[in-house]
Amino acid sequence: MPIDFPSHLPRAAIEKLLLAMADDELILGHRDSEWTGHAPILEEDIAFSNIAQDEIGHSLVWFTLLQELTGQTPDEMGFERDWSNFTCCRFVAYPRGDFAYSVVRQFLFDEAEKVRLEALRHCPYAPMKEAAGKILREEAYHVMHCRGLIERLGKGTPESHERMHTAIDTAFPQALGMFEVLEEEEKLVEAGIFSGHTMLQAEWLKAIHPILTDATLSLPIERTDSRITVRCVPDAGGRRHSHTEHLKHLVDDLQQVYRSIPNTNW
Amino acid sequence: MTDTQWETYEVFHQTKKGDAHIHVGSVHAPDPQMALQLARDQFARRLKCTSLWVVPSRSVTITDYQDENFFAQTTDKSYRDPKTFGAPDKLDPHAD
Repeated sequence: MPIDFPSHLPRAAIEKLLLAMADDELILGHRDSEWTGHAPILEEDIAFSNIAQDEIGHSLVWFTLLQELTGQTPDEMGFERDWSNFTCCRFVAYPRGDFAYSVVRQFLFDEAEKVRLEALRHCPYAPMKEAAGKILREEAYHVMHCRGLIERLGKGTPESHERMHTAIDTAFPQALGMFEVLEEEEKLVEAGIFSGHTMLQAEWLKAIHPILTDATLSLPIERTDSRITVRCVPDAGGRRHSHTEHLKHLVDDLQQVYRSIPNTNW
Repeated sequence: MTDTQWETYEVFHQTKKGDAHIHVGSVHAPDPQMALQLARDQFARRLKCTSLWVVPSRSVTITDYQDENFFAQTTDKSYRDPKTFGAPDKLDPHAD
């Protein structure tokens, strides 16, 4: 359903931001759902499945806003689009790994989502602003859950600490890919939609560093009073359709049932 | 054999402010805060909920099923049963 779009806002750039957020949530939600029936503790199995459903719900929120601008339905975007047209970061598409990796990924992702949503709460595009507020209410509990696990597993047993440490070494450069600058992002910054991904990354680092330090886990960064410098190469490319084969396999899996009977009313 | 599971917490759920908290089950958790979060995921997602309590299962003192005498009524005490008058479901606090 087309809407009256405020003509002073950069429509194409907003569509790109909505798509990036929707794709990140859909793909990570799918990866999280792979723990259903396999998590090391029954309660975490349920909690992770719950988070998976929440993330897919968030992707639906963003796809619905996108539909108002492009006319393409969430089903078309999720189930009919070729994997090479997804703009999720590579980070969310990597296999679920061990539970430590999934916990670390969820933590790094949720903290980034929180920072981005808080920025969008002041955005001049009303539908986006409202959606950000709504999602943040739910996101607060993901953040709480992940912070709880980071602290307890970081300071838990020598094995849990070691696994968390390895997971962070793997996940951190990948996570930096969440902040890859979007095409036309400068227009979003100019229009006051948000401050841009470079700024968000700096805020994210400021948020996660003390939590990880407290959990006796370290990051490949250097911190002075005023700034944090990253000492590793970001695993970026996803926003520009440069994906790993992991995404292809995931999207095959995600779309398999839908594509098995085309044009069916599910 | 060592139990590698986290300890269990009993979960009590309240549907409406002022109602009693009802025991709904238990969760494994490493500590009370995580127990509350995990209880939320398991017991408060679909049911309406206004409050949750979690209590370490080891803190609950229980009766022994073997000790049947504990609850036995060996002599006739039917005179104590309120059989001859009806009690209303709700009491009117303003009645005299």
